[in-house]
Amino acid sequence: MNTSRRLPYLLMLPGIALLLAVLYPFLSGVYWSFTNFDLTLGQNPAFSGLTNYLQAFALSGEGLHAILVTFAYAALAVAVQTLLGFGVALLLMREGLHIRFFRALIVLPLLMPPVIATMMWRVMMTPDGVLNYMLSWVYLPAFDWLGSTSTALFSVVLIDTWIYTPFVILILLAGMQSIPTEVHEAARVDGASYLREIWNLVVPLLRPFFIIVIVFRGIDSLKMFDIIYTATRGGPINATMNLHVQSYFTGIRSLNIGYSMTFLVVLWVLCYALAFVLLRVRRGRLA
Amino acid sequence: MFGKGSSKASRARRRNDVLAFVALLAYTAFALFPLFWIFLLSLKTQRDVIATPPKFFFTPTFQNYAEVLSRPDFLTPFKNSVIVTSGSLLLSALIALPAAYALARMEFRGKEDLAFSFLSLRFAPELIILLPLFVIYQSFGLYDTYIGLILVYQLITFPLMVWMMRSFLEDVPKELEEAVQIDGGSWFTSFRMIITRIALPGLAASCVLSFIYAWNHFVFALVLASQRTQVITGGLLQFISFEQIQWGAMAAGVMLAIIPEFIIAVFALRYMIRGLTAGTVKG
Repeated sequence: MNTSRRLPYLLMLPGIALLLAVLYPFLSGVYWSFTNFDLTLGQNPAFSGLTNYLQAFALSGEGLHAILVTFAYAALAVAVQTLLGFGVALLLMREGLHIRFFRALIVLPLLMPPVIATMMWRVMMTPDGVLNYMLSWVYLPAFDWLGSTSTALFSVVLIDTWIYTPFVILILLAGMQSIPTEVHEAARVDGASYLREIWNLVVPLLRPFFIIVIVFRGIDSLKMFDIIYTATRGGPINATMNLHVQSYFTGIRSLNIGYSMTFLVVLWVLCYALAFVLLRVRRGRLA
Repeated sequence: MFGKGSSKASRARRRNDVLAFVALLAYTAFALFPLFWIFLLSLKTQRDVIATPPKFFFTPTFQNYAEVLSRPDFLTPFKNSVIVTSGSLLLSALIALPAAYALARMEFRGKEDLAFSFLSLRFAPELIILLPLFVIYQSFGLYDTYIGLILVYQLITFPLMVWMMRSFLEDVPKELEEAVQIDGGSWFTSFRMIITRIALPGLAASCVLSFIYAWNHFVFALVLASQRTQVITGGLLQFISFEQIQWGAMAAGVMLAIIPEFIIAVFALRYMIRGLTAGTVKG
């Protein structure tokens, strides 16, 4: 009996070892955020208290700006994709449409590397590119999609939406398919209109699936790196500089390790706050 | 669902069906247009690439593909991606399979906490581990090496595999162990039976989806690799970074990098939802 009690831990040993191995760089990094560690100076890190945090989030304003961009990007991306994805999923659920066929086509953007998807959009978003050309067909003005501070954030969110809306569609479709048809029939017998049926019936039943969508998409867009780095490198003039990209430029490019870790610690806290929502949902066995 | 109403409403219903179909086509066009455009680009000569206004009709050529396939700055990252991705998958499978089995088939204290700790690796912003590793790897000689990359790729492939494999292993009925025990078999007998027969398709799907995630990943190699072991995502980004814009070649490279993925993905589409949510939703 004794061996069988230890067996599960034995089986998990390699996994636990990996976790512990990750803990070392993680804790070093968190510690460095309280030091003046800077690779260009080559010194041994010396404890400096909250200096980096004050510098980033109070004195320079870099950190606050990055937090604002991080939230704006995540809020926009999650809101647009959840609504659009829900709409498309509803369309797919209508009778007589070929769900499987459309689903296979729609999912393609999700399967490719975000970096490569973003490169494709960069080509299309140049001033002489095909997007502006197509806008001219319907007499709309051209945009400097990624080159202007007023449009850059929306343009990167557009790319994000192109890649990740299929994620929302797939999850919500799975949810819709789990709703028994009797529920809809009952609603129709009661004379509920289509919109009423969606709002009063489908949305509440899909709650756990919406939570999954918002947690996964929320975390991934809070820590978005690939799309922003590839599309704008945080520019123009920091218009798309979120915490993750900011930490790359201060840490890897300027080698100011201690300072850049402060952005990451703050970002990590944000991501984990959302992740705990998921944990509680699972604990409640909602999903 | 939302189907057949009364016959009075049938004209309105037909009109709504048409509207719904048009809306769906519009979204599909949005989803496919960039792929279509990049495919056109890959078949253009440099002159057609830079033509304004952009050309929809032109004489196609395969010279971009021929060029890309002869360039070491495409072939080396491609080869590196194959090595790093398959190495990471192999290592992850070795670590994840026993852990997933324990999480799915056994009861023990701290189970959910451990499971969530594994998943939390996927939710961390990558650089919070990468930035310290950037410092640590250089002092250990792991910077710009295959081993170093394979180790760090565990951050993405391991949590995915554990959670997906767990969700597939949970699907196997609990009675199986009991039956094996009655026959006098050990836990290893049931373990072998489950993974080699019953759960095999699910386990394979876990590998396929982890492959896609690893292949698509960018920031690990951006930070921890240089020219020698750079992977395909970082490699292709170089094509666009230089100012003498070789978009035709880049587009051909893009097509070559994603088509294998699409082919593989078609086989695993059924299991896609579990992959995307790390097994938290069973699609």
